[in-house]
Amino acid sequence: MPFTAKSGKFNASIKPVTIGSGDKAATIGGENVLPFYSFDAEIANAPKVGIEVTDFGMEHEPECLKKYYDGCTTAADMVKKAVAFEGVDFISFRMEGGDPNGANKSTEDLMATLGEVIEAAGDMPLVICGSKNAERDAELLQKAAELAQGKNAIILAAREENYKTVGAAAGLAYNQIVGAESSVDINLAKQLNVLLTQLGVNASNVVMNVGSAAAGYGYEYVASTMQRIKAAALSQNDAQLQMPIITPVASEAWATKEASASEEDVPGWGDVESRGIDMEVETAAADLACGSNAVILKHPVSVATVSKLIKELV
Amino acid sequence: MHKVTFKFENSEDVSVFAAFGENLLEVARKTNVAIDAPCSGNASCGKCRVKLIGGNLDSKKTRHISDEEYNDGWRLACVSTVCDDVEVMVPDIASAYRSRMKVADLSSPDEIKIFDDLKEQVVEAGIELKNDMQLTLLTLNAPSLDDTMPDNERFTRAMQALTGVQQIRLPYSVMKKLATVLRASDFEVQVIYRKTEQDVFVYDVVEKDKEVFVGGLAIDIGTTTVSGIVIDMLTGKILAKGSSGNGQIRYGADVINRIIESTKPGGSVRLQKAVIDETINPLIQTMCKDAKINPKHIYRMSVGANTTMNHLLFGMNGDPIRTEPYIPTFFKTNSVFASDIGIRINPGAHIIVAPNIGSYVGGDITAGAFVSMLWNKPEFSLFIDLGTNGEIVFGNQDFMFSCACSAGPAFEGGDISCGMRATDGAIEACTIDKETMEPTFTIVGDEGTKPIGLCGSGIIDVISELFRCGIISPKGKFIREGDRVRHDKYGMGSYVLAFEKDAGSVKDVEITEVDIDNFIRAKGAIFSAIRTMLSYCDFDVSMIEHVYVAGGIGSGINMKNAINIGMFPDVPLELYQYIGNSSLVGAYAMLYSTEAERKVYEIAQNMTYIELSTITSYMDEFVGACFLPHTDAGLFLSVGAME
Repeated sequence: MPFTAKSGKFNASIKPVTIGSGDKAATIGGENVLPFYSFDAEIANAPKVGIEVTDFGMEHEPECLKKYYDGCTTAADMVKKAVAFEGVDFISFRMEGGDPNGANKSTEDLMATLGEVIEAAGDMPLVICGSKNAERDAELLQKAAELAQGKNAIILAAREENYKTVGAAAGLAYNQIVGAESSVDINLAKQLNVLLTQLGVNASNVVMNVGSAAAGYGYEYVASTMQRIKAAALSQNDAQLQMPIITPVASEAWATKEASASEEDVPGWGDVESRGIDMEVETAAADLACGSNAVILKHPVSVATVSKLIKELV
Repeated sequence: MHKVTFKFENSEDVSVFAAFGENLLEVARKTNVAIDAPCSGNASCGKCRVKLIGGNLDSKKTRHISDEEYNDGWRLACVSTVCDDVEVMVPDIASAYRSRMKVADLSSPDEIKIFDDLKEQVVEAGIELKNDMQLTLLTLNAPSLDDTMPDNERFTRAMQALTGVQQIRLPYSVMKKLATVLRASDFEVQVIYRKTEQDVFVYDVVEKDKEVFVGGLAIDIGTTTVSGIVIDMLTGKILAKGSSGNGQIRYGADVINRIIESTKPGGSVRLQKAVIDETINPLIQTMCKDAKINPKHIYRMSVGANTTMNHLLFGMNGDPIRTEPYIPTFFKTNSVFASDIGIRINPGAHIIVAPNIGSYVGGDITAGAFVSMLWNKPEFSLFIDLGTNGEIVFGNQDFMFSCACSAGPAFEGGDISCGMRATDGAIEACTIDKETMEPTFTIVGDEGTKPIGLCGSGIIDVISELFRCGIISPKGKFIREGDRVRHDKYGMGSYVLAFEKDAGSVKDVEITEVDIDNFIRAKGAIFSAIRTMLSYCDFDVSMIEHVYVAGGIGSGINMKNAINIGMFPDVPLELYQYIGNSSLVGAYAMLYSTEAERKVYEIAQNMTYIELSTITSYMDEFVGACFLPHTDAGLFLSVGAME
């Protein structure tokens, strides 16, 4: 008897979400198969790769990044260069300085920087990330959503603690895309989506950050959470989990010892720059294989590599 | 050393010397001063409030005490240390766990019906409602110089002739009084004994003209609440019923904290004293006074209690229950007498215990499973006992599975800032107007009783109504504003059930987001345990034909509301039946019917215990269930349909 392969195509699909507008608009999601199962059905939209810039500009960036951003000091300077890097689908701007336990920059300062970034990004799609402090983000992201009106940007992120403010500003008042962040648990991810839709946010305007970790740093939890979310969305047609997944990689991967320990401290480990790139690429590849529809990276070489990987597979 | 003086509203001061830096709650515990501390002194429940009257205390400020209250001298005992001579007032609210013992009104038809229904069902199941206790008038040949047999032999021979049983057991308590009673009554006495196939046990001899009574006592020892009944062993009639908070509460709200406390020096004795001397004995006194009988005439006692509670009752080492591989001292025992542990009934009274089947599934469940009668039906039934430990049994006449989950004391009003047992002033039912957000209550007590707090059934109603009216989100956070919704300076929301002027207490009665969160965890634990156990057996909720709900959480549960908040599975309402305190009712059955007692042992042997912590999906189910009604809305389709 001849072997007939059974198609793994599902009747359900991930909701497509478009970021930005115009020629460079990027659409993520839309697929009705497991990640990269292009042999079962065409992948509606290839995963996208973004590059991260923070409000500190070059100030906090690793040494190895300097040669790519020659002559840049501010975030806007960097964005101007980054838009031209190979494989960049969108710009991600993170307001790290807003953290009240860190630099605690004023909202006015941060909005001024954001304004310059928006200008510099031109028609490149935009993801605007907060400070990781839920209380501060309620204020920052509300202002950011207002400032970026018309950009159709992802506001990352609304969390359980601040979803009312962030969700209402991004999803209801200023027509942006709401990034919903939960901490590595399928039920918590779904609960936040339910809360956001009950608030009135259109489910087609939500993307999820279901939590992230660098490869080797408790990554199994991230992997199984993403896989189970995709499985529930596709095989059980769970509408509250059919939002595309966006995963910040840069902030996790570059914070590891492998990416930051100097060559003097760990002489056996080899070149620090390639270690950082490896951590970032490995983590991003794993995220994509587990179901992320977009990843946010920092190093231009990582961006180019992951972008090439996606093109080969889709 | 500094002198610490505890002052009370209604009793004498207690003074003690304590070292600099000693924790005030610990000092109180050592001195046997009752301060309620369900969280075991972790500053999380805010119940151990005391008022500083003189001297100084080194206290941390917590969110439980407002600036105004702090200036008035209010402190939490658990975060206060001794730094000077000090006088503190222990408010009556802090000792509320002992809260006025409640003797139930047995004229209430609801109370009686539960027991009558059971008797009917037990008979239908072919179990004889009869025990081995007997009362007989015994005539002995009076001794003479020609007949010099000692009293005990004389008595034994007469009993052998009467009962046809060779082995007559005469305990010391009877021997001691034998000579006096026989002679005072001309060798014609009333004998109270228990006859089995092997032997006869003599409990008492009484003069022939004295009024006698063969009493029995059934006690349910819950982690939070203790309740009991006194019955006539010969007729089965219930003569008194009462309940009280478990005096052990101040040593921790749950079984784990109790066991930990019991392992401290003198801890085992303190815990045993707390449950026997402070709880059970006063309860017996109160009930006997109410029934107008002498406690010495209670000759048999049965206990329905979880494994930890029956071990602590007997003063046994509970630590092996808590630590791997979780082994209790006994599942079943019949070798304890009232005098062994200082229960103030007849000292020779036997104490029988509903058998345990696991470290965390105890006699309360085997007794309860008996009462649910699920073992006598071909249909699949679910039995849920809502207590500090939630226990669940699923099965039918052919098999039974059981599991336990830690729900916390929320169902009995613990861990809830305005929580209380179902005594006078407790809100036991509630509806809220969706437009005005104004509540309407049913309150325990005489007409006109003002609300003081919420009991378990009231909490279910309040949360269900807050959710239905869109006042709280599925996560239990306040999302609507109004006169009754408040936020404190930390941003925590609350809903005022009764403003101070309308309340029976000295402050507003309100339910906070923390309370709601605690309750959502409790209901999540119950629902996820049900789901996990059913899926473990490859069943789903559609196969359930009866759901029996037990627990002393109020006079009844609004099942619709319990489904609306996702606590119970979404099956038709008519499948649900509230069977009251099944542990107590089961203890009653064991006490009154010897065959029922045997049946409970049999049930215990036939029940398979599932350890939820070994099932990997349980934690996932739990997080999914900590949402109103559930993260998977498809499990609660009727809830969506309601709106």
